[in-house]
Amino acid sequence: MATPTRRAQHKDGAGLRIRRKEIPKVPTGIAGLDEVLRGGLPAGRMTLLTGGAGSGKSLVGLQCLLHSADAGEPGILVLFEERASAVRQNAWSLGWDLASLERKNRLYLMDARLNPDAVISGDFSIKGLLAILDQQAKAMRARRIMIDAADALLYLYNNPVRERQELHTLHEWLLDRGLTAIMTVKTLPQGEFPSRYVFLDFMADCVIHIDQRVTVQVTTRRLRVIKYRGSGYGRNEYPFLIGENGVNVIPITSNVLQHRPPGPKVSTGQVRLDDVLAGGYRRGTSILIVGTVGAGKTTLACIFCQAACLRGERVLYLNFEESPEAMVSNMLSPGLALQPLIKTGRLVVRSYLPEAMGVEEHLFHALKALDELQPQHVVVDAISACKRMGSEHAAFEYLMRILNACKERGITCIYLNQAAGLDIVSEISGIGVSSIIDTVVLLRLLPIGGVMKRQLIVMKSRGSKHSEQFHEFCITDHGIELVKA
Amino acid sequence: MKSHKRERRGYAKSRGETYVFRLFVVGNESNSTQARGNLARLCEEHLKGRYQIETVDVLKDAATAHKNNVLVTPTLILIKPFPKVTVFGNLSDTRQVLAALRLIGDER
Repeated sequence: MATPTRRAQHKDGAGLRIRRKEIPKVPTGIAGLDEVLRGGLPAGRMTLLTGGAGSGKSLVGLQCLLHSADAGEPGILVLFEERASAVRQNAWSLGWDLASLERKNRLYLMDARLNPDAVISGDFSIKGLLAILDQQAKAMRARRIMIDAADALLYLYNNPVRERQELHTLHEWLLDRGLTAIMTVKTLPQGEFPSRYVFLDFMADCVIHIDQRVTVQVTTRRLRVIKYRGSGYGRNEYPFLIGENGVNVIPITSNVLQHRPPGPKVSTGQVRLDDVLAGGYRRGTSILIVGTVGAGKTTLACIFCQAACLRGERVLYLNFEESPEAMVSNMLSPGLALQPLIKTGRLVVRSYLPEAMGVEEHLFHALKALDELQPQHVVVDAISACKRMGSEHAAFEYLMRILNACKERGITCIYLNQAAGLDIVSEISGIGVSSIIDTVVLLRLLPIGGVMKRQLIVMKSRGSKHSEQFHEFCITDHGIELVKA
Repeated sequence: MKSHKRERRGYAKSRGETYVFRLFVVGNESNSTQARGNLARLCEEHLKGRYQIETVDVLKDAATAHKNNVLVTPTLILIKPFPKVTVFGNLSDTRQVLAALRLIGDER
């Protein structure tokens, strides 16, 4: 059913309060997409879904249709290109049971592939199709319809004027019947319509474009709402993902106003370092630990994790550098026993190969873990590896989104960054995220008198006092120890 | 199934096989009217006395249209003799229709 007309309050430039009504909408049931569409698709109107081959537009449409069917609003799926049996099978692989919905008369798959051997002689129309749909819609009281690969029908005409007329007929028919419709049309690889279908953009009330692109061998999918008559919508390109349970769109809710204020102090796990930071980190803030290879970044983070877990808190450790087993084993050397913490479920280590998936998939897994585990703290080791998700931009997007998600939830977020050169001060910025980082701790190795000495300095600590000195430290069998100056 | 309007014209006589056609139309819209006329004329000229035409109006009998996967109208289906032939359109191109129905060689 369409969501009831909602009133949204809105302030215009002059600060006047305007009450405006939103058009009735139908939720898509796709995580994130409803947020982008401010509630869903326009009820009783046509939405156009465009995208290249394999972009996932049919899947998006199908998921909307199934969501409605599940909610008791029957729908018809008209297939101009795929076999109904193939669609059932593909859906099954995502755990969607179309056959059971069909048995309940909630869904009807209409195989509308045209006979490829048919001879064309003279003009014809799609009235036969509409008559069949009319009967079917009436019989099952359909409220939704999806017309998949409408272009396959249009090609039959091979005449732009007739194509246009027929689409117009179809559109009028949909509006007359009050059906909430989704039509999918293929675009050229550049993301453009074949020029003869440009009018489709004007006809539809809502146009959503999906594309799939490959950047440095990593494929990402993006979704963008091009227009939405009578409604506001998120205007960016949003990463989206086809996961094991269907489509997920990841909207950017980077509204800084939703960030929670920093919480009370929390121990770093090292008493002397707590003193350096005037009591420790602050809960719900972002902390960047920068350093060269072997400077002790992971150790410092793990000391914090151990202390947090022993207090009964939960930590999510996203590791892009090593497997959980390797991490556990390596941390035995500085005397950290992580295995028992993992066993109790307080410490959750998730290791991923950055290049194994696109940034949206990484985000999806991370955000899902945040929701499922509800940790108090998150560690990302290391943000320098995130570049391998595709590009520096992808890494930035990933880190910003994780950071925002943490700040909205009041989660402490620790980023580790590996500086490549010796001049680490200039590398602190860490893929451009430094401006939103609250605390920066820098670790460096310095050759002094024939030995490498480790030094630590707090570069920045927002909303808190901190020592401005370099502090020498060692990594011992029982953690990190700060050497008294 | 709903009753559908069937018109039968012409009956098999001697000489050669009987052609059985099913023509799907939409009421009396112009393409459908033309298709009816074109088919009747063509049959009289080339198949006199050995054809059957069953006309289905999809507005009255969508179920049969559905069963035959008829999406565009008019659609002509040659049911007999085998193999089955499907022709979309108002059948205005007589030579093309005759060729499709194997009544003349495809000379074009």
